[in-house]
Amino acid sequence: MATSAGLNAEALSSRLQQLAQQTGIQQWDLGASCSTDTSVQVDRGEAKQMKGAQRSAITVRVWNGDGLVGITSTSDLSDAGLARALAGARDASAFGNADETPAFSPLATAPLASLEQPLHEPQPILTLLETLKQAERQLLDRHAAIGTVPYNGLAQRSSERLYLNSEGACRHQRLTTASLYLYARAEEAGRKPRSSGAVRLAYGTANLDIQGCIDEAAQRTIAHLDYAPIETGHYTCVFSPEAFLDLIGAFSSLFNARAVLDGVSLSQRDSLGQTLAVPFLSIRDNGLHPGNVGASAFDGEGTPTAPLDLVDGGVLRHFLHSEATARAFGVPPTGHAGMGAKVSVGVDWLEIGATPGSGGGQQGLNRLGHDGPVVVIDSLSALHAGVKASQGSFSLPFDGWLVQGGNSRSIEAATVAGDIRTLLQAIVGFEGEAKVTPDGLCPYVWVEGLSITGEA
Amino acid sequence: MVASAPDAFDLAWQPRLESLLAVGQGAGADLVEIFLERTDHLGVLAEQETITSVSPSFGMGAGIRVFRGDRDGFVSTNDLSDSGLLQALDQALGMLGLLRSSAPAAQFDGLGTLRDFAAAKADWLERCPSLAEATLKLLDGTGRLAHHGRHLQARRGSYSRDWQAVLVAASDGTFARDIRLHQSLGLNVLAADGDHRAGLGRRYGTSGRPDDLRAWDADASAQDVCASVGTMLYADYVEAGQMPAVLANRFGGVIFHEACGHLLETTQVERGTTPFADKVGEPIAHAAVTAIDEGLTDGAFGSLSMDDEGMEPQRTVLIENGILKRFLSDRAGERRTGHGRTGSGRRQSHAFAAASRMRNTFIAAGPHTPDQLIASVDKGLYCKSMGGGSVGPTGQFNFAVEEGYLIENGQLTKPVKGATLIGEAKEVMPRISMCANDLELAAGFCGSVSGSVYVTVGQPHIKVDSITVGGR
Repeated sequence: MATSAGLNAEALSSRLQQLAQQTGIQQWDLGASCSTDTSVQVDRGEAKQMKGAQRSAITVRVWNGDGLVGITSTSDLSDAGLARALAGARDASAFGNADETPAFSPLATAPLASLEQPLHEPQPILTLLETLKQAERQLLDRHAAIGTVPYNGLAQRSSERLYLNSEGACRHQRLTTASLYLYARAEEAGRKPRSSGAVRLAYGTANLDIQGCIDEAAQRTIAHLDYAPIETGHYTCVFSPEAFLDLIGAFSSLFNARAVLDGVSLSQRDSLGQTLAVPFLSIRDNGLHPGNVGASAFDGEGTPTAPLDLVDGGVLRHFLHSEATARAFGVPPTGHAGMGAKVSVGVDWLEIGATPGSGGGQQGLNRLGHDGPVVVIDSLSALHAGVKASQGSFSLPFDGWLVQGGNSRSIEAATVAGDIRTLLQAIVGFEGEAKVTPDGLCPYVWVEGLSITGEA
Repeated sequence: MVASAPDAFDLAWQPRLESLLAVGQGAGADLVEIFLERTDHLGVLAEQETITSVSPSFGMGAGIRVFRGDRDGFVSTNDLSDSGLLQALDQALGMLGLLRSSAPAAQFDGLGTLRDFAAAKADWLERCPSLAEATLKLLDGTGRLAHHGRHLQARRGSYSRDWQAVLVAASDGTFARDIRLHQSLGLNVLAADGDHRAGLGRRYGTSGRPDDLRAWDADASAQDVCASVGTMLYADYVEAGQMPAVLANRFGGVIFHEACGHLLETTQVERGTTPFADKVGEPIAHAAVTAIDEGLTDGAFGSLSMDDEGMEPQRTVLIENGILKRFLSDRAGERRTGHGRTGSGRRQSHAFAAASRMRNTFIAAGPHTPDQLIASVDKGLYCKSMGGGSVGPTGQFNFAVEEGYLIENGQLTKPVKGATLIGEAKEVMPRISMCANDLELAAGFCGSVSGSVYVTVGQPHIKVDSITVGGR
């Protein structure tokens, strides 16, 4: 059922159907995945670690005679493993939640969007190693202060996903991806070490923008060498596309129907149609965007991936849904579900920018041409610790620059703090074209009056 | 199709493993290590008065690591059949430019006598609470939250039970097996009253104690959580700036874990990312600070009978009276940095190569009372409960303060929220000027290069003379 050639959907479905019949289970579904990975890391011209992995996993979900749901997950795709998983799911179903029972997605057999995802043959690991060694060498050669690239990696993956259910739904997706990350550490005599980096994704190693990754990592690292502390106070801030997407992603429970139903979102059931942000802000979830490398054609319940407007003209328009939350709201599922006894819901890939026809806020914003001081927030750290999504507050360390009179200087160490609802109402406008990042599409975003704590 | 593996890691595995190890040695490897794992996990979530999720899982896998000189190749697989393991070994050898040879292994003398830490633990899984018992206990916990709390918008109780059987075999003769059991309970609440909102949680965890859930005092835990969230619900945001801080005991130890502990792992020495690499024997902290990492405390989350490389854990004094004494080291760390192994080779699962990781890490008790520390501060911050944090590649750390209070004229005054402590280990360690006499430990999880592992953090109350507090 899982072989070196991948998952056999037909065999898996057939075997599960047999086992289900033997145990009196009428309704079941299954999510399965397998992958083969290779990756390398280097350290000053030498291989640091080379890794390979073959992984397989399934999650089986069954409905018992009372209609209650239980699940079990396993990496054992043998006959014995499947039988044990099915029995475990049946046992767990005795504790299923009678107040909210998931069902099959009504869209589990609906047509899927066609994704342009070329499959690439993996490269030999020693080729990966040489490629990464050269990239590291080039990055080290960019500046005398760059002494090491302590965090680096070149990885490639070949993977498959399946969704099957007892009513005949069968989703199958194959994918190859590759990734490169380079984080350099630079230090000048008598000064503190500084670090920054870059990431690139592609469908195959041969398509990775390696030079772009080196250039960006070098530029970012060198730009932080000349640093100074910043005075604590309130500043106009300019979020990089990556930083703003990270922040919105950390507060995505605003758009999450699961969180709304659980009472842990800042949004309520009746928040749809209410103003959340400045009237020129749009946030759209679009996992099908061609810039989303590794996009999934369907979610954990087999629902097709599709674009969804979350915020338009500053107004909250839609929530992200699983089958169960969609049923509770009386709408179709949106393709954002995981798989489980209690199904999780999450964002896919966000497009953030100006609402068409809105004017887009203040025009002609240019951080380097701005008279007053602005703080450019290039990357945020420790979102897991510094974001209180259910409360709306955040206090986050960041890397960035203080720009004044056209001069830009790296900030030694600082945090930015605020409330997400206040921030969304304090957006001034956008700068430049939207940039494609691994998490979405976004331009630079200007926000007024954020609290910055520095060490000056 | 994947072949199912035997149900136990017993001596029947010895000839299979010896054969693989001989193949690896014969191909020219300096050392070959095989890590086998079987797991059984149960997760249960209760929300309000309902069990909303029961998530069992089980699995198996192997991680094969081959060393040659300073280099190593690592391959993991879910396939424990002979052919699956051989394929993984071939791939790991190939990473180092090695090929299987028909020549016999010149330097492999076979595995040593099995060191069996598992035998006495064979009944641990069956002695754990049943699913029915666990659900009742959790519902008791969420019910007690409702009883003790006010303005609670969401109440959650979670239970996690991780059982893991491992076997380690290496071409240096290492042959050992163990069973690990970690159980944890969490209570989380979200309180809301008008525009005021506060969320807070506590987690309790032990290792190697199958009965521990039964012994859990749900009422005391619920009272603790509700008292804290009730205080924080109406707290003002902290004013940012530089100030002295007193960090409470137990989970306050996360600051040492993140700010300094990670920098004392040979993984960081290898990367060149610790400022302490050449500081053994030199002062790196205030003379008031002695710090220890060990894997021995009975029932503690980070305790082990053996590490994931088959070595029994030690009590490692990291810092003594401010002087750096030694680093935490694993097999790769020893080969690459020369620091001797400390039984600290740990990994989340077979899918990760082991790395030097902390176990139970704490600052030792000092001579003062907690009140003396607070009384020594004119204006500062008391951090009763810490949230998560992280440390960056240049040693910069940050921690969220979950429950904080102002210290004014040597007294605790009003609660404050939204504080983040930021700084650099090298600068902060010399500023820990006072340690109290109330050392306590707390269970936690640590994510790093070899995945997420169970750890304990701990400290007595400590005073930091000056630290940057991020706020509004």
